[in-house]
Amino acid sequence: MNIVNDTISSLHRVVKANEDIKKVIRISSGVNLVALNAMLIAKRSGERSRGFAVVSSELRLFSRNLDAAMNGLGELIFSLVRDAAAMQRQRQQHSHFMTVMKANKSVRKWAEPTLARVEARMGVVEEEISQDWHRLRLQLNRVLQLCESGRSLSRSAKIEAVYGGDMSTTLKQVASQIEGTVDEIFSTLKLLRMQLAD
Amino acid sequence: MKKLEFIYEDGAHKWAVVARDPEKPNHLIDTNEYLVLNGSEALLADPGGMEIFSAVFSAISAEIDPYTIRHLFASHQDPDVISSLALWLDFNPELKCHLSWLWGSFIPHFGGTADTFVAIPDEGATLSLGGLALDAIPAHYLHSSGNFNLYDRKARILFSGDVGAALLPPEESSLYVENFDRHIRHSRDFHRRWMGSNKAKLSWCERVSRLDIDMLCPQHGAIYRGEDVKRFINWFADLDVGSGIRD
Repeated sequence: MNIVNDTISSLHRVVKANEDIKKVIRISSGVNLVALNAMLIAKRSGERSRGFAVVSSELRLFSRNLDAAMNGLGELIFSLVRDAAAMQRQRQQHSHFMTVMKANKSVRKWAEPTLARVEARMGVVEEEISQDWHRLRLQLNRVLQLCESGRSLSRSAKIEAVYGGDMSTTLKQVASQIEGTVDEIFSTLKLLRMQLAD
Repeated sequence: MKKLEFIYEDGAHKWAVVARDPEKPNHLIDTNEYLVLNGSEALLADPGGMEIFSAVFSAISAEIDPYTIRHLFASHQDPDVISSLALWLDFNPELKCHLSWLWGSFIPHFGGTADTFVAIPDEGATLSLGGLALDAIPAHYLHSSGNFNLYDRKARILFSGDVGAALLPPEESSLYVENFDRHIRHSRDFHRRWMGSNKAKLSWCERVSRLDIDMLCPQHGAIYRGEDVKRFINWFADLDVGSGIRD
């Protein structure tokens, strides 16, 4: 039965995806700090950095939205782990009843209805797992779109940094930091999307 | 392959054992599962671990309709006693599992719902199997802190769980104890280590010695019959337990 092997690979895939998501969560918590730092620097620079301050404020909002989106991914991973574990449990039960089915006909007849029920349940859980993966891919696409807006903001921050007068160098450094962080999130998520598409 | 063997028959009232399995993997402790039948109802005492479910189920189903099993009895919480619970419930979700109240929220980790479990109070209880009285006899701390034996007054059989257990070598494959002195050597270390309380042991010996018992049926090893039952109780009363840690 394909379900058996699918269960094992499903758990491995969930664990792998979860590791990538955890990595993004770690990085994204940095965006908030960098954006906050950018806002403070912009405030110190006064009127000359007004544009940079606006972008920094938007970046903080982006960071909050990213957090919420990543939490959504985390919840989907939780569902996947739960369903993959349920499948593993069904798989074990299936295996035990399959062993009973190796006995003679008079014994098999008692196990057949139970085996059919276990297989029906495996079918239901398999469908749930498939829907979980679908929802995960959709959510991932939403996060990637969000990251696109984050990248635009980081580019805007770089442009606004040029108008920062004597604070321009510091603002450029902060803008580069933001760009680097957002790029790292983006490339990790893109890689994850590629893996999930396999 | 495990086989079901009848050890007591009086019309529709029977006791059977799915005894030790010579084909089981070495890393699993060997176990006996006992089936009490009364008419159209049966109770399975210590149904066993998940890994041996298929062997136990096949052995029982080869002889009787497994749907007659309405009750499971778990002497205590160990995995070799009851980790097959989820599989039995898969087969028949209506099964009731009788066990010490102490394990009421632990055993459900093996499976089951709130409706599955029937808690036995510390002082014991009488279960009814199609009108046949089966007494859950307290055997706390022997070895588990919430532990019961099952006594059938009519058949004069005591299912004693881990009490009386022996870890027998493969060549000692008889269903019954044939030579008490030779047999008990395989029980000594087990009881010294697993039974934690001399006080609990003496209380058990005193109470059980007052029962009429023709067969004392442990979860591991051979069944004691006739005079060997009394010999075992006396031997156990004299044994210093809670003392088996190897130097």
